Amino acid sequence: MTFRLTCPVCGKRDVYEFTFGGQDRGPRPAQEGLSAEEHFRWVQFRMIPGGWEGGEGGGVREGDRAAPQEEWWYHGQGCGVWFRTTRDPGTNREVEGGGGG
Amino acid sequence: MRLRRLWRPTPLKRHYDVIIIGGGVHGLATAYYLSRDFGITDVAVLESQYLGFGGSGRNTAIVRANQRTPENVRLYDEGLKLWRVLTDELDFNLMFFNCGSLLLGHSEASVGAFRMAASTHNFMGVHSELLDPRQCAEVIPGLDISDRPAFPIHAGLYHPPGGIVRHDAVVWGLAKGAAAHGVHIHQGCEVRGIDTDRGRVTGVRTSLGDIGCNRLGIMAGGYSSAIAAMLGIELPIHPLTIQAMVTHPLKPFLHHVFSSTAYHVYANQTLKGEIATGAHMDPQVNYTTDATAYYLKHQAEALVDLMPALRGVRFMRIWAGLADMTPDMAPIMEGHLGYDGLFLDAGWGYFGFKSGPVAGKYMAEYMATGERPEILEAFQLKRFLENRYSGETAAVMKYGHWD
Amino acid sequence: MVADAGAKTGGGLADRGSPDPSVGRPDCRRPPSHGRLPEGRLPPGPTCRVDLSQPLEFSFLGRPVTGFAGDTVASALYASGVRIFGRSLKYHRPRGLYSMEGESSNTLMAIDKVPNECAETTELKAGMSVRAQNVRGDPQTDRFAFIDRFDRMMPAGFYYRLFHRPYRLWPLFQNGLRRMAGTGVLDPRRGLEEGIRGEGGIRVEGGIEVEGARMGSDVRAERYLNAEVAIVGGGAAGMSAALAAAERGLRVCLFERRPWLGGHLVWRVRDFEGEPLHRRAEKLAVRLRAAENVKVFTSSPVTGVWGENLVTGFTSGAEGDLFRECHWECRAKTVVVAAGCMERPLVFNHNDRPGVMQVGAVWRLARTYAVLPGGVAIFSVGDDLSLEAAADLADLGVKIRAVADAREAVRQDAALVTALEERGIPVLAGWAASRVMGRKQVKGCELGALKGEASRRFGCDLVVANAGMQPRIGALATVGARLAYCGHTHTYQPVELPGGVFAAGSMTGLRDPRAIEASGRLAGERAVESCGGSAPGPDESLPEPAPGCDIRHGPDIGRGAKAFVDFDEDGTYKNVVESAAQGFDVPELAKRFGGFGLGPGQYRVAGQNLAMIMADLRGDPVETATPTTVRPPLVPPSLATLAGPGHDVHKRTPLHGELAARGAIFRRAGPWLRPRYFSEDTSCRKEIRNVRRNVGILDSSPLGKFRIFGPDALKALQRVYISDMRKAPRGHCKYSAMCNDMGQLVDDGVVIREGENEYYFTTSSGRAGSTVEWFRYHTRYDRWDYNLVNLTDVLGSLNIAGPNARRVLERVTDDEVSNEVLPYLGCRRITVADGVEARCLRLGFVGELSFELHVPSSYCQFVWDLVVEAGADFGIRPFGLEAQYCLRAEKGHVIIGAESEARVTLTDIGMGWLWDCGDTAAKKVGAPALRACEKQPGRMRLVGFRVDEGSGSPRDGAVVVDGAKIVGYVCTTRRSEALGWQYGMAMVREGVAVRGGRTHIRQEETPGRGESCSATVVPTPFYDPGGRRLRA
Repeated sequence: MTFRLTCPVCGKRDVYEFTFGGQDRGPRPAQEGLSAEEHFRWVQFRMIPGGWEGGEGGGVREGDRAAPQEEWWYHGQGCGVWFRTTRDPGTNREVEGGGGG
Repeated sequence: MRLRRLWRPTPLKRHYDVIIIGGGVHGLATAYYLSRDFGITDVAVLESQYLGFGGSGRNTAIVRANQRTPENVRLYDEGLKLWRVLTDELDFNLMFFNCGSLLLGHSEASVGAFRMAASTHNFMGVHSELLDPRQCAEVIPGLDISDRPAFPIHAGLYHPPGGIVRHDAVVWGLAKGAAAHGVHIHQGCEVRGIDTDRGRVTGVRTSLGDIGCNRLGIMAGGYSSAIAAMLGIELPIHPLTIQAMVTHPLKPFLHHVFSSTAYHVYANQTLKGEIATGAHMDPQVNYTTDATAYYLKHQAEALVDLMPALRGVRFMRIWAGLADMTPDMAPIMEGHLGYDGLFLDAGWGYFGFKSGPVAGKYMAEYMATGERPEILEAFQLKRFLENRYSGETAAVMKYGHWD
Repeated sequence: MVADAGAKTGGGLADRGSPDPSVGRPDCRRPPSHGRLPEGRLPPGPTCRVDLSQPLEFSFLGRPVTGFAGDTVASALYASGVRIFGRSLKYHRPRGLYSMEGESSNTLMAIDKVPNECAETTELKAGMSVRAQNVRGDPQTDRFAFIDRFDRMMPAGFYYRLFHRPYRLWPLFQNGLRRMAGTGVLDPRRGLEEGIRGEGGIRVEGGIEVEGARMGSDVRAERYLNAEVAIVGGGAAGMSAALAAAERGLRVCLFERRPWLGGHLVWRVRDFEGEPLHRRAEKLAVRLRAAENVKVFTSSPVTGVWGENLVTGFTSGAEGDLFRECHWECRAKTVVVAAGCMERPLVFNHNDRPGVMQVGAVWRLARTYAVLPGGVAIFSVGDDLSLEAAADLADLGVKIRAVADAREAVRQDAALVTALEERGIPVLAGWAASRVMGRKQVKGCELGALKGEASRRFGCDLVVANAGMQPRIGALATVGARLAYCGHTHTYQPVELPGGVFAAGSMTGLRDPRAIEASGRLAGERAVESCGGSAPGPDESLPEPAPGCDIRHGPDIGRGAKAFVDFDEDGTYKNVVESAAQGFDVPELAKRFGGFGLGPGQYRVAGQNLAMIMADLRGDPVETATPTTVRPPLVPPSLATLAGPGHDVHKRTPLHGELAARGAIFRRAGPWLRPRYFSEDTSCRKEIRNVRRNVGILDSSPLGKFRIFGPDALKALQRVYISDMRKAPRGHCKYSAMCNDMGQLVDDGVVIREGENEYYFTTSSGRAGSTVEWFRYHTRYDRWDYNLVNLTDVLGSLNIAGPNARRVLERVTDDEVSNEVLPYLGCRRITVADGVEARCLRLGFVGELSFELHVPSSYCQFVWDLVVEAGADFGIRPFGLEAQYCLRAEKGHVIIGAESEARVTLTDIGMGWLWDCGDTAAKKVGAPALRACEKQPGRMRLVGFRVDEGSGSPRDGAVVVDGAKIVGYVCTTRRSEALGWQYGMAMVREGVAVRGGRTHIRQEETPGRGESCSATVVPTPFYDPGGRRLRA
């Protein structure tokens, strides 16, 4: 479903103006002492708690709701800024006040 | 004709030898083969909604074996041969329409890529042909092979063994077959937690109460990463929303599946006459199945560019499902994942439907014997920790595999 | 602030088709020109929208038919006596008009060879050619009509149980099934032959047409709107909401699917508060059109309301519009959904016979289109509006023999019952239709009591049936409202609405016109509040929603083998029962198994009935009935309209025209159009030879060109480049690469230090667009102070390559470009001619002496002309991408995507020498992956090979085999004139990658026609391994 993101520079814009940059995992780990496995986990492995609301044709689901996550987005068709925002994978919506990080 | 229930309602027991999470093609196929080939009948398939709610009932029903690498071709080829076998075994017509598929290439580079695919397939005994644009138009009349489209057609990879299968029928047929061998199927049973004890899986907590088990299979398609997260397991799987749509029904005029890399489009005409067509996906991880106006429009743009006759046709319905994407577009089939007795069959991305029965067959063997079948060697989780991609996609990723 | 301010009358999009703006309707009360009423027509009344003085000739099945201006295709056909409009999908039953709203496939027809056009809503135009669908022969005598008798052989899901034994017969059955399926006929070659693809087209932006429209062509426009309040539905409630919001200064867009405003009031003549209802609607419309800030879109069905209140739909062009259809999207702060109701189909035996129609269809035929719907009618209904219709139709001359009302007597409007009885029409409360007699059209109808055994039969030619009203919930459902069954109205009603979404009007169960308007006003005020305005005043006291009708199906339904729940796929009551018996006992499963709501009518026809019947079959209370999911589009848009005027965007270099004049054959390369060849000879022999022996010129303008400067510029370069950029000396091109976190090659180019904290660098043309994104992504935590400027489009680039390159260059510049001043990988600024400043980079991608001139784009043509003129004596000629591709491959230079892929790292493709593992503090992107995989066994590697002479000539993509195993593939291979043999690069498993090793290459483009050859692994570069020519 089409939703909008809050760019800290441009304000609310259609999501299709942005590039998704993934969950915020913090800065790049130091290279010294980083094992190959740690590195590849950092790059690719994610935990995305589930739960989804209002399953089609069924009742509203309760419990184990997806946790809103901090993410990086790039306003490629706008100002060209990478910013952090909070979005809920369970609703596919930016969480109120999540923009502008 | 006498009408009977395809699967009997069964009481929910408090313990099963094997519990499978996910009442889609993969879960049901695994249950079917466990009960049929290995005599393991104390099996429950738990489905949170109704059978086929997820990707199994939302895909565009295309089946084929023209993957990129030998490891994948081998698996999908075996899968492709199962439709006919299962139709007989299950005594349920899966409506395999063996119409062949045509993949269109739109650049000089695609010719090389298709030659590589065709050479690989034919070397392995899987029929594929490299076609020039004129031959493409002979296979699919109506394709615009002129220079007018934004991405003119340069080549085609024609794969006669492919086709379409009635996706719901596969779900129901496998449910029928599994139930006939004693498997319990529980719809509306949502898993909310997984119990473990000293490194072993011991059961699941569900909306219908706690159920114990010795072995647990996570085969929940797009929701698999959410299930794994209940145990704190991180996976290189991103659930992404993928959309599909159908047009008004038309008399048959499209006699093959066609797809295009440059336009991110695949299309086929169902037995009912609709053009079923799919698009690529939104990049952000999420568990919703919401369709977007954006893709309805972009799909139309692509289709009329490829086949101008479709201009007057109307879209009747759009829907979405989840695809569990891995970085290399190949699945993860793993046993004893962090816990004894925990099995995972996920990460199928675009390909979860066509692979369902064959994946179930080998996952059943894996779960029954505890030994990884040789054919599954290429699909271990550890390849992502060793940076050894399966090569199913040549494209290099950017930040993560969502792009 | 409005995206298209001032467009209220521009572009023909708003305020369409209303020569008489006061009523939004042409004067249709003129008598026919010849003074006699045409056959099948009623005298035009005050609500008529057909102009009987303006006949329109068209054809049906090739036979001439006359309709009138204002008709729809269906009303014209019906007036001319056509009753069978098509045949049904499965049973080939005759089908006719039903709702006049296009709710099912019954009246989808082929119009001017376009299949599946909705005859009920398509405006008639002179010269149209109309054909029935799913018909063999004449629709009256369809040759497949016999199938109707075989329903016993076709229970729900029968095809899953038949046809597969023995399996070898299945393809036969399958082809038979396939031929029977589908409705419309499409000629796939049509667009190719007739060239109807979107030529031209307009896009209206800010009220300005961006591209010129071509009248008469198939123009599809698009428009992007903004509104504070978007209103779905232009009935009394929608108009009231619009007025309420507009009066408070909000910007409003109102979308109405019909060509006029007023909803169901526009054909009602009943007096209400001293004036006919249609006048009431007209007055509202007049006020609305006069209101500031309101844009009204008629003939504009909404296809969906999506997340965060994005409303989409399309507008059909009317007389004077520059488009045939226009797709629009309106991003609204709030949405008022006042979509009204449709009639819930009544399920009873043979409820699909031509002549069985819903109340609105019959009423509108008479009142809107001046068509006599029938002579003798039976009503079986469940709503007061239907009783009003019966009385009105009786006044128009339809003989109504009885009105069965499925509701109990206490639930009816007593005044309406009295009105009917005054007209001598018996009203049977608690009764409903049980079956229809007649094979091709209605000949009679049996009514029965819902409780008890009583029944009566009537002869008639028209059965007007519904099961009461059901709201058009589509817009609410798609925007994410939670709906629940309401036991009072017996409809699905919103119990939770997303933010900024409001429902109003008859869809909320209201029937009283004042209440409907008041609910609209209230919704409008709520929208104002939600946009930051003050809260609405106290609620006006409104009449409560009327009680609804909960009938599931007609009495005495029996097996219900021909009692249709879904017309599109011939889904019957019997099929619902059969689905449930086989375990498909929830609507979502039954929908898929039995085929309910999957056809053109979607959830609209079958949705509520299926849920209610299934609840009964399960023995559940009706309140638990869960309908199937509503899926967009709510009205089917054509692909052409969605596609719009074409959005193909590509970039052309400053030299595009020049290159085209020189015979360039262009190909897409990323966003660019670039010359691939300069002749039909795709081996590019002449282009290659000229570079190797003489001098060539390449337009390399798409090359990514960037300036990075600032105190932390070097840190940023150190992060993204895999080499040590601290060592980049001034005036020197440092070649390097960028990797991703998997160590895969993503880009390569040169970096030039031009000053203190000041660098210039190039990227591959495919990466130019994402380079800024990439730098900023990988430094996003670091708060480094640097500026990155993309100069790609600002600077053009010309590559002069070949042994004579320097001699050409010397003729166009006075600056020194000798090997001493400008050696290989050198870089300096020169002045071309008398004043064009250029960066001159001495590079060697193609393996010859070469200079790359980066000049301002506006000077590109000028410099090109100079160089070409200067080189004329040497025979300079342009070369394209294919020639460049071959030239660099002879050097073993890698092109990303051609000789790299997702399985290999920088090291695997032999470029590990670029990696600087020293500066770990820089945290170079890709370094940990390279370290992890550096010594890993069993990886794939890029190797060069030489095809053994005479053994064959493989092409790109051939596979490398080892016995029965595939161990790699050929990335690029060409026969080289310069080398005299065929060289190539292949990606192979380790082990094959041994120098001097023999490999077997096999290609099989067509099964059984494979070719094999052998090759020897050799080092790269193949050509000029010592690099002397580069350094010449």
